[in-house]
Amino acid sequence: MNRRLGAGWLTAAAVVLLTVVAACGSSGGGTGTASKGTVTVAGFNFPESSILAELYGEALAHDGYSVNYKLNLGTRKVVAPALQSGQIDIYPGYAASELEYYNNGAGEATADPAATTAKLNTYLAKLNAEALTPSQAFDGNAYAVTKATADKYNLKTLSDLTPIAGQLVFGAGPECPTYKFCLPGLSSVYGLHFKQTLTLDTDGPATRAAFKNGSIQVGLVFSSDADLNALGLVVLQDDKHMIAADNVVPVVRTAIATDEVKKVLNNIDANLTTADLVTMNGQVELLHQDADAVASAYLQQHNYFA
Amino acid sequence: MSLLQATWQWLTDPAHWQGIDGIPTRVGEQVHLSLESVAIGALIALPVGIVLGHYGRFGNLAINISNVGRAVPSFGILVIAFQVFGLGDVPIVIALTALAVPPMVTNSYVALREVDPDIKDAARGMGYRGLAQLFRVELPLAVPLIMAGIRTSAVQVVATATLAALIAGGGLGRYIVDGLARSDNPRTLAGALLVAALALATELLLAGLERAMVPRGIRLLAASSPRKVGTFKTA
Amino acid sequence: MRGRVFLDIVDPWINWTWLSTHIPYVLAAVQEHLTLTAIALVGGLVIALPLGIAARRWTNLHLRPAVLTVFGAFYTIPSIALFALLIPYTGLGILTAEIPLVGYNVLILVRNVLVGLDSVPPDVLDAADGMGYRPLARLIRVELPLALPAIFAGLRVATVSTIGIVTITAVIGLGGLGQLILRGLIESFHTPLVVATALCIVLAFLADLAIALAQRLAVPWARNP
Repeated sequence: MNRRLGAGWLTAAAVVLLTVVAACGSSGGGTGTASKGTVTVAGFNFPESSILAELYGEALAHDGYSVNYKLNLGTRKVVAPALQSGQIDIYPGYAASELEYYNNGAGEATADPAATTAKLNTYLAKLNAEALTPSQAFDGNAYAVTKATADKYNLKTLSDLTPIAGQLVFGAGPECPTYKFCLPGLSSVYGLHFKQTLTLDTDGPATRAAFKNGSIQVGLVFSSDADLNALGLVVLQDDKHMIAADNVVPVVRTAIATDEVKKVLNNIDANLTTADLVTMNGQVELLHQDADAVASAYLQQHNYFA
Repeated sequence: MSLLQATWQWLTDPAHWQGIDGIPTRVGEQVHLSLESVAIGALIALPVGIVLGHYGRFGNLAINISNVGRAVPSFGILVIAFQVFGLGDVPIVIALTALAVPPMVTNSYVALREVDPDIKDAARGMGYRGLAQLFRVELPLAVPLIMAGIRTSAVQVVATATLAALIAGGGLGRYIVDGLARSDNPRTLAGALLVAALALATELLLAGLERAMVPRGIRLLAASSPRKVGTFKTA
Repeated sequence: MRGRVFLDIVDPWINWTWLSTHIPYVLAAVQEHLTLTAIALVGGLVIALPLGIAARRWTNLHLRPAVLTVFGAFYTIPSIALFALLIPYTGLGILTAEIPLVGYNVLILVRNVLVGLDSVPPDVLDAADGMGYRPLARLIRVELPLALPAIFAGLRVATVSTIGIVTITAVIGLGGLGQLILRGLIESFHTPLVVATALCIVLAFLADLAIALAQRLAVPWARNP
């Protein structure tokens, strides 16, 4: 009787232990090769950010670094604190939006990427971080309407919206009401006051679904989105230049910002164009290719900019 | 200011009690979604479970369906519903109904099965047949366990409705998801506390309803039901 | 409308080509999922077992109502809220994911530990005392083995529940199969979504089966809990 009880305990314990070991053991297998160090690259929760994060990460891995990824991590309000607390080392930022985040919306961003980035670095320096050289690739907030709405009200620019905004429903993400280049900007620069604002997502599936079923007439998208045409959406021109220099720029922690790392990242950004962003976005958003595969192909095509 | 103080301030701010993002609206949305889902779920689950239990058929299926139901990830189901039905309440209600049905099927099946065979014999001896026996003898005895199943489903649905905000839905989950997106922790905590309070209120309300519906004699009989489906967390 | 048709053509519910070329990706997600689940179960058990035992032994401390109330209250808070609230304190890693998961499991398991220990017939305890077992020995060699069916039942419930909730940790960058669901949502891409949901169900079934089998090995005298 005692022996059987003992055997029962042992078996139960063994089963539990085996499960845990099997689950943990295989995921801990190391690569064995010596690396130049480990970096964690994060991205915001939209596909282009995953692509950019993969571009940076794979280039660094190719250069001998050990790279961890935290893709689709969240909005800037989640990603930026993660950088400050050292949980991530790099994220692909957009110069003007980063500046207006770190300066608490002081309104210092301009259309000049270099000046904007320089100003951004004055804030980042205090946080042991820095922004590298901005790319000419640009992706800022854009505001779109359906072709039907554009035709109905003869809309081409955001100013055209001002007289009729009160009849339209606007859709954006949860951070929009407090994000400088979203509702506050639309209101202060263009005087837009919509009939209603729906909280959907930031240029995601909910916004697109809302356009499709007519719940919103105006919505937030990104200027480098590849599927706008396919969805029958028209971007309204930012004629009063509310959107500033949202050029792609890596934001990195000073601790890992060695000359080597900076060289790798700057090489990519020096050659990245907005057209490249649109193409890669299309491959992910329309053809459902993997962000890492798309980034890989791009880097190999350009020989890793070596 | 500590998080608790900031949350208290958030909850007592009159601005947060008005408008489309106000607490009454969001609570209303959560209740509406949950009520619809549990009601539709009950309309589907109860007849199925009761009939199966009365005739003693497909017992394994009826009992195991709640195991299958528990194994379904609510996040996945909600997103699939969104991809099929798009925006709005429809996908949310469909997904929540799918989650609400299994516990109610199992509980009503077990409830009918556990009616003492001696009582069924006595009823037969008194002249009750078929449906009359079902409605006048078995169902009243089965009510406690059936209500327990409805209560389990309801609390689960109220809590899981929180995830609707991930597919741009409304309800109290909106505070939690928006709070996460904006790193606005008082908003997140306020949302969490409100959901917990609502779940608790649902539990108490339905427990009270159960007590009111079940005659005292039967309540004493059904004091212990070891095979009933317990509270289960899906979100 | 045309845009929609275009998108639908390239997006069946399961794109088998995609699946066949992404097996390592899916398996890695399954591995992460299982790891997160295993940690939550072991953690829950490691805390619930002593807590349950202590609650019964030291009744003057009123541990039982305290533990059930505290962990019961914790149980009512949606997981996504707890993940979000823990970020400033425990960051974006495994700890943030596991604290709520372990907490939920403690409630489920401690309830079952208590029920299991409560269900030991007093006659058996008397007999054990009569045979000379001291309290600790009696606990380990008599009470706990007899409580095993209830504990295993709790493990099964905890496992299935945890596997579902782990998907939600995708919102803090983890998630295992939840990452595939999130990708399916963000990119409007059906295949990872459907595959991940189906795999969660399969995993839950297999885990439940595994624990039931372990129970059969450990508790051969009690087939039906």
